[in-house]
Amino acid sequence: MYCLYTNNLTHRFSGNEMALSKVNLQVPDGSIYGFLGPNGAGKTTTLRLVLGLLQKQEGIIEIFGKSFQRNRIEILKKVGSLIETPSLYGQLTAVENLTVWQSIYQCPKQRINEVLGLVDLNNTGKKKASQFSLGMKQRLSIAVALLNSPSLLILDEPTNGLDPNGIIEMRGLLRKLNEEQGITVLVSSHLLSEIEKLVTHVGIINKGKLLFQGTLNELVSKQQQSSALFFDTNENNRALQILNDHNFPAHTAKDKIVLPVLSRQTIARINQQLVENGIEVYEITVVKNDLESIFVDLVNH
Amino acid sequence: MIPSFVHSFQSEWLKKKRSAAVWLVMIGGFFIPAIMLIARFNDFNNLATHNGSPQVWEMLYKKCWQFMGLFLLPMGVIMATSLITQIEFRNNTWKQVHATPQKLTNIFFSKLLVILTMMMQFFILFNLGIYLTGIIPALLFKKIPFPNQSITLMFLIKQNLPYFISCLPVIGFQYLIGLQFKNFLVSIGAGLGLLVAALIAIPWKFGYIIPYVYSAYTFLASNGVSNPLANIQVWAIGYFILFIVVGYILYINRREKG
Repeated sequence: MYCLYTNNLTHRFSGNEMALSKVNLQVPDGSIYGFLGPNGAGKTTTLRLVLGLLQKQEGIIEIFGKSFQRNRIEILKKVGSLIETPSLYGQLTAVENLTVWQSIYQCPKQRINEVLGLVDLNNTGKKKASQFSLGMKQRLSIAVALLNSPSLLILDEPTNGLDPNGIIEMRGLLRKLNEEQGITVLVSSHLLSEIEKLVTHVGIINKGKLLFQGTLNELVSKQQQSSALFFDTNENNRALQILNDHNFPAHTAKDKIVLPVLSRQTIARINQQLVENGIEVYEITVVKNDLESIFVDLVNH
Repeated sequence: MIPSFVHSFQSEWLKKKRSAAVWLVMIGGFFIPAIMLIARFNDFNNLATHNGSPQVWEMLYKKCWQFMGLFLLPMGVIMATSLITQIEFRNNTWKQVHATPQKLTNIFFSKLLVILTMMMQFFILFNLGIYLTGIIPALLFKKIPFPNQSITLMFLIKQNLPYFISCLPVIGFQYLIGLQFKNFLVSIGAGLGLLVAALIAIPWKFGYIIPYVYSAYTFLASNGVSNPLANIQVWAIGYFILFIVVGYILYINRREKG
């Protein structure tokens, strides 16, 4: 069951500029879904469409198994969101800011202190939101998103403006909300390293197209598949022939022979055979792609 | 529908706390009466005679509306309406407002109701100010009598309702453009431009077609100079309804909601 599902979501800005092309987002119930992509990839546009902040042009958006268009109010009652920069009334205190939204959600008043406690802002007293640091504003915005005890939390780059400690605390908070309250979290970021320790599922978007979608384990296995062993020799064609004769799945790329990552003993054996056949081996390199490289690779190709 | 509208209104009412619009209403309400009080003390020798007059309140209201009605009232309405609509743009909160479970209709009309309620607050403060202008001299000096005229509800309605109605088209138009443009100067500039045009058009026989002219016409009518070609209150209400309908259609059909 998907908590959030889009089908062929397509959006064009004025001037026919394509912002999203047939995006099929599938956020499983109870997951922490990392929505990744470089700046301008289409993350915010997707999230704005999902929340109804942009008028949908093509495609289907379903949240909690219901059409967003037909059930907007009912769905938004169970969704918390933070899109881009903090949305706070500068002349109001933290409690007053939350009271503005509490009036709409009609949640119990004590929920205000609960969420302020969750983001460690319960001692800000009469300080106005305009006097908060960017990190405090970001945390207060997250408190706003949590106020209605949502089933789905949509956070667009929530760690912007947070210091390293704040980022770690944020991860801890999101994980806790997910594990203890079963809240599905959709969190966007342009840095995989920032959320790889948090998410269970990943979607990678670039230039408006969803390039990868799956569990973090699937992305990790993609990483292992894309790690490779490189041989630099004086006669690549003959070396390739020898390796193929010995049933090694070798091929050439960028003037080097490429093999999947093998054990140290096998690498030594291959090297020995090549040398025995009169081939000079100049370099043996193992390239282990980390998740970030996979992300960059997906985005760049 | 009704309970959720009440909640939307409560939320909108909270947002204006400590905003410039609130200060404008407070200061604007007492500004002219305060000046009038100073002017009365300046003319101390005639204070007792004035307070003893059976038309003392009419005289005070006329003098206060003279300054307020011609320019300051529409100017204040332009500023207050623009400041209220700016709250969301300035704080970058439209996206949060539109991601809450509220009907767009509720958001639109609860904001409008906040502006109208603030206008009523302004009128209450203005009337209170005029009342204080009448009684403060009597409270401070024994030889000055309390105003020799009672204030009835009908008197208050007669003194205030035409001016309130005259403001409605200004509220309607400022609300319409205030919701459409992020830049505060567009709203203020358009409002000031129309107000200046209205002031220039006062002597023109078709001046009533300019929606910002009605408070000036209301003041002139209270002095016996009325435009025979039009019922300005009908025109004012008509313009208000037109601007609100157009504003509502534009608002709910906005492609980008924050």
